[in-house]
Amino acid sequence: MIRFAALVAVVALAPLVVHYPELETQILTFGLLAMSFSLLLGEMGFLSFGQATFNGVGAYAAARVLIDAHAALPLALLVAMLAGAGVAAAIGALASGGRGVYGVMLTFAFNEMAYYAAFQWRDVTGGDNGLRGIPRPDIFGIALDDATRYYYVVAVVVLLAFAAVLRLNASPFGAVLRAIRENEERARSIGFRVARFKVAAFAVSGALAGLAGGLYAELYRFVPLQAIDLDTSTNVVVAALLGGAGSPYGALLGAAIFTVLSDSLSHVWSHWPLIFGIVFCVVVLFFRGGLWSVFDRRSARAAHG
Amino acid sequence: MSGLVEIQLLNGVVQGMMYALVAAGLTLIFGMLDIPNFAHGAFYALGAYVAFTLISATGNFWLAIAVVPLVVAAIGLAVDAFAMRRLARAGHVYQILFTLGLVLIVQEAIVIVWGADPTSVDVPAALAGGVPLGAVSFPWYRIFLVVVAALVIGAVWLGIERTKYGAIIRAGIDDPSMVDCIGIDVQRLFTLVFGIGVGLAALAGALILPIRGGQPAMGNELMATSFAVVVIGGLGSYLGAVAGGIFVGVVQAVMTIVYPAASEVAIFAAMALVILVRPQGLFGRR
Repeated sequence: MIRFAALVAVVALAPLVVHYPELETQILTFGLLAMSFSLLLGEMGFLSFGQATFNGVGAYAAARVLIDAHAALPLALLVAMLAGAGVAAAIGALASGGRGVYGVMLTFAFNEMAYYAAFQWRDVTGGDNGLRGIPRPDIFGIALDDATRYYYVVAVVVLLAFAAVLRLNASPFGAVLRAIRENEERARSIGFRVARFKVAAFAVSGALAGLAGGLYAELYRFVPLQAIDLDTSTNVVVAALLGGAGSPYGALLGAAIFTVLSDSLSHVWSHWPLIFGIVFCVVVLFFRGGLWSVFDRRSARAAHG
Repeated sequence: MSGLVEIQLLNGVVQGMMYALVAAGLTLIFGMLDIPNFAHGAFYALGAYVAFTLISATGNFWLAIAVVPLVVAAIGLAVDAFAMRRLARAGHVYQILFTLGLVLIVQEAIVIVWGADPTSVDVPAALAGGVPLGAVSFPWYRIFLVVVAALVIGAVWLGIERTKYGAIIRAGIDDPSMVDCIGIDVQRLFTLVFGIGVGLAALAGALILPIRGGQPAMGNELMATSFAVVVIGGLGSYLGAVAGGIFVGVVQAVMTIVYPAASEVAIFAAMALVILVRPQGLFGRR
């Protein structure tokens, strides 16, 4: 509770301390995406390379209803969540059946499929040029033409989602996911319908990722093809693991570090991913709990489990 | 029209044999050793670029395709010995993550050393020209690719199925502690297999260079396709990887004529269909 209050305070004060609302908004949307990943890995023990699929589907869905139907923002975000959840449930149903690495491969392969589909389906996605001209409607009569105002809208949504994830992890549903992570056979023999829980977890994760995509689409009022490509999925994995994927706090921390680093280092040395890759390998070899484990012993144990 | 279709089918087989080579290596590492190597595509890209440097420096294509697999396999051996084995106890997830870090490193190192622009080399002079096929001709070099890939794939298969070392490796996979008890250091052989798998990917990268050229992202694209190949063929099945590779190459080539927009998506749709209808893959046993 204290931690969550601290998080709310940090999020609320951030633009006042450092005024760079676009980047800070990006941290939040990417953080939400990282959280959607850590729900699958941290709780259920499934490493997903498909988060950009759900993110991109959400972004395109939100953008489409905003452009074509002039939908209100909350409705567009709801559509993004539903689209993300639907695609994630379908991919989850296909990918989570097999054992271990098989499913990881499938999320990877399906992400490539989604990328090519988005690349070719120009009428809907804008293809390589991205999808431009997304309107940003007022919300409850307040104009969102200002970057700081939009930041606070995103902040409220992301914090609500964050609280929901914390609540979900503490619920019986979360406990079943952890039981699946610890020992799938045992969870099954106790009587849980493991396959259903897995698909449900994918749907929740996809809804969060889709929401992140919808929020991102409105940030620059533009959906680049990168929103759905494999590099984005990989970045999510890297960022969440760097922070510590055992905990949503870790995922958010990792996303913040990753976003700030890629924004600042890319001006200093364009080849910074090299250093980053080396650091990442070292973290994997020697500090498997991620940075958050330095603050929180429990997430360290979860990540080792 | 008919000439085009035939040429395209042949091109599909050529590309398919390259997929088969990569997927055969992936099957050794993924299927037999049970090491999730997500850097397989990065080793393929590295193969292409090291070949580019060797060919540019010496002008000798044959030297390049002989040396490149060895050089890249040596890197693979080091990766296995220093990282993958150490991470085996931590679990698959960490092995995947480590190889993901490798992908970042290799991709960026390629940009630093060779630049972000695509590179290319000429087809070796001895294999220039082509076989006349009616009105058109089919390049000798592509025929050479198919032959080399078939020979290498066959040799590796014989090595595993018909030699003493192959028998030890198979025994070690079935029951490592028993093989240890007999006094054989099976870990060392596993590392060798890892190196061979990586070498196959690097060879494919070097062979494809004169046709496709090299670009830094080539590894990631191939990675996704070869996942589809092994899922379609049957994860862990060597024969399945080869058949799956050819199948995917031909499907891609045919779709390029029939409906080019869907030529990439079709592969993954085929993969989804295989999962639904025959989860063990076309040649897998489960």
